Amino acid sequence: MRLITGGAYQGKLDFAIKNYNINTAEIANGESFNIADLSNIRCINNYHLLVKKLLENDENPISATSEIISENPDIIIIINEIGSGIIPLEKSERIWREQVGKVGCLLAEKADTVERITCGIAVRIKG
Amino acid sequence: MLILITGGSKNGKSSIAEKIITSYNSKRFYIATMIPFGEEAFEAIERHRKIRLNKHFETIEKYTDIQEIDIDNNSSVLLECIGNLCANEMFENKIEKPTDKILSGILKINSRAEVFVIVTNQVGEDGIEYPKDTMNYIKNIGEINKKISKKADCVIEAVYGIPIVLKGDRLLYQPKSIIQGELPPCLL
Repeated sequence: MRLITGGAYQGKLDFAIKNYNINTAEIANGESFNIADLSNIRCINNYHLLVKKLLENDENPISATSEIISENPDIIIIINEIGSGIIPLEKSERIWREQVGKVGCLLAEKADTVERITCGIAVRIKG
Repeated sequence: MLILITGGSKNGKSSIAEKIITSYNSKRFYIATMIPFGEEAFEAIERHRKIRLNKHFETIEKYTDIQEIDIDNNSSVLLECIGNLCANEMFENKIEKPTDKILSGILKINSRAEVFVIVTNQVGEDGIEYPKDTMNYIKNIGEINKKISKKADCVIEAVYGIPIVLKGDRLLYQPKSIIQGELPPCLL
């Protein structure tokens, strides 16, 4: 499993496509991802939005993430960094922001490589 | 030895800080700055207490005025966190710009500690324009972080549990247990 992270619009998806030779058909979007499609894809983009969707459906993002990694151990996951701002006033946004942090820690721990993209430049921070 | 740890919410800052502190054998002090108010504050305090359990910390609850804290010479000190401390100085103590006050308190503690680990926060990266007080808070945190960082022997940014050493000797301060840890630091 590989993890790619960084802020919004820093070139994470482009990096993944070029560096790991992924076809766009092999990429799922976290917003609309269905776990049944897991075997047909190589990459989940916007994983932070999948966390939001899982929370909205009262599912546990940590256990869902463990399941995804064990079902597809070669998956490439792209997740934004969203926790470096002011604590949101809205409770559901606070929970989402914190769950994205915890899920990101789990992904980074399980990943063989972690790359952080800033202004299109990738820095390998693990592996 | 002054070590600053920064990073986003739930990115494993506390776990990295505690791993560093517990690698020292001197007397351990924990400076808690969060005012226990509201359900979520209690939950956060409980969660951090559980993590510290059995690590032999003496807890000092000090929400403002950390320059008044008295610690033993050559002890290990962990302060969490600059975000709370700065908010308390600004909104409880009504000090508009507490940056120099907080820094001098930090330097006083550091002059007596064997190791002093400070957890801070990254708060200015969501691109949202907030009301004046909040923008001032973001500015103060940024300034305190820069001031501490200048004095620090080591500065670490936690990115989803991975410690990135921004300043200091990587081999000396990056505990092997973090790199090879079985669980992500924030879940320990």
